[in-house]
Amino acid sequence: MDSTQLTTLTGVIDKKMNRQLKQYMDICARCAICKDACHQYVGTGDFKYLPARRAELIRQIYKKYFTKTGEFVPALYEARDPDENLLDELYDSTYACTGCRRCMYYCPFSIDTAWILSVAKAILIAAGKGNEMLGQLADAAIFKGDNAEMFNDVMVSGFEDIQEEVRAITGNPNSRVPVNKEGADILYVALAGAHSIRPAAVIFEEAGENWTISMFEAANYGFFYGDVEKARLITKRYIDEAKRLGVKEIVVPECGHAYRVAEFFYEAWSKEPMPFKISHILEKVDQYIKAGRITVDKGLIEGKVTYHDPCQLGRNGGKFEEPRDIVKAVTDNFVDLTPNRAEQWCCGGGGGIVAMEEFKDVRLASGIKKVEQLKASGASVLACPCENCRLQIEELNEIHELGLQVWQVIDLVVAAMPLKGTKPTHA
Amino acid sequence: MSDETKIDLELDLKGLLCPLPMVKVSQNIGNVPVGGVIRAVATDPGAMADIPAWAKSTGNEVLQAAKEGSEFVFLVKRVK
Ligand code: SF4
Ligand code: SF4
Repeated sequence: MDSTQLTTLTGVIDKKMNRQLKQYMDICARCAICKDACHQYVGTGDFKYLPARRAELIRQIYKKYFTKTGEFVPALYEARDPDENLLDELYDSTYACTGCRRCMYYCPFSIDTAWILSVAKAILIAAGKGNEMLGQLADAAIFKGDNAEMFNDVMVSGFEDIQEEVRAITGNPNSRVPVNKEGADILYVALAGAHSIRPAAVIFEEAGENWTISMFEAANYGFFYGDVEKARLITKRYIDEAKRLGVKEIVVPECGHAYRVAEFFYEAWSKEPMPFKISHILEKVDQYIKAGRITVDKGLIEGKVTYHDPCQLGRNGGKFEEPRDIVKAVTDNFVDLTPNRAEQWCCGGGGGIVAMEEFKDVRLASGIKKVEQLKASGASVLACPCENCRLQIEELNEIHELGLQVWQVIDLVVAAMPLKGTKPTHA
Repeated sequence: MSDETKIDLELDLKGLLCPLPMVKVSQNIGNVPVGGVIRAVATDPGAMADIPAWAKSTGNEVLQAAKEGSEFVFLVKRVK
């Protein structure tokens, strides 16, 4: 690595390292409690996936360049240059991390390894070693934002098709998927796929909500990629849209990181106060059920139902009860996974890992704790409000022959609603 | 156009939810030569924006993005 590159990389570290992160560099006791918390280490036994080891790679560079002892006696303090070997190691341990923060929950010092790895991502990107697939997904999203006109017709035509499907489900020819509706109360920012729009539209329409659909998707691969500016631009697409339409509230779909990005990160990234109330779709659905705005019938879902807390919505987003209340409203046959809520095991599918083919082996191996939990629950239906989790669990379901039906929570709700039309199958 | 264009790789992306159709096209574009064409069939309507946006931002070319019944058929040319 030449001196210019080195200066760039150390500059990135210098810029990213705030007081909290510097403290993390100093306080790790190497107790290795975090090893039993990380599904990837537990599933593979591979040292590089041990949370403290992942952070250690950053600590080594940090020590070399930002501490006197590391600068003068690097061998003694395990201080290292960010050479190609270190960067390759860093790539594996960083982009494999699902950002679940289960290690932080169990660490006696609450060291946030996932946050430390956000520094690693910035270093890798600066070194031209960011994950290519995540970068492409982020760029495609930004392109859609910059060229919204180009996609307008295709989006509107897609929404019209979904509207027909919604009408078939509700049995109401007046059900709508409102597009570009100025003065709507809610802007619903779905995922790119119809599956996240159709059931939400049924629920909004049956609840008599004044809503409109966003032209953009809530998923944010800039966040997974580790580029704050890209992540900001991707989010800004629907913030600007919400401003233009004059809505009061932005509702994000069944996607773990989308909620966290909108509710917790965008303000810091954009350095402006979030002008809208941010809600997760399940908060709204829970309110509709409790207020009697939609009706659900407990007899319509067959089998024992369990629930998986997506890490970004649960442990990292604090939404534990609303989804459970919804599931309990649609069935008397609910069983929780053990452990659950803040202690819930990561399924292994977060952080964008499902889009990164090179981590397929570790991803599937790391699902073993989730498989054990699901088997122990005896459930035949799993409700799970995160796309990445569902993709992972569907795959585990097939490989381990769990015989589970994996549902979005809103699909479960629609299945339990007494409607005049034809119920879709959940997939 | 699909009748005349030589197809180098067929991708069945039916049933995959967005953004996976785009991910699969991206993962497979290296499997056709420069100038080669992937024919991809998806069922998620989100692909109609996703795949062209991916192509534009990566410098590849979508020769066709057409709705055929309940399917979306793409011809994607590898440019570089
Ligand atoms: S649990 Fe915390 S203090 Fe212990 S090794 Fe892991 S990161 Fe370090
Ligand atoms: S955030 Fe999750 S995947 Fe990453 S190191 Fe911690 S426990 Fe492992």
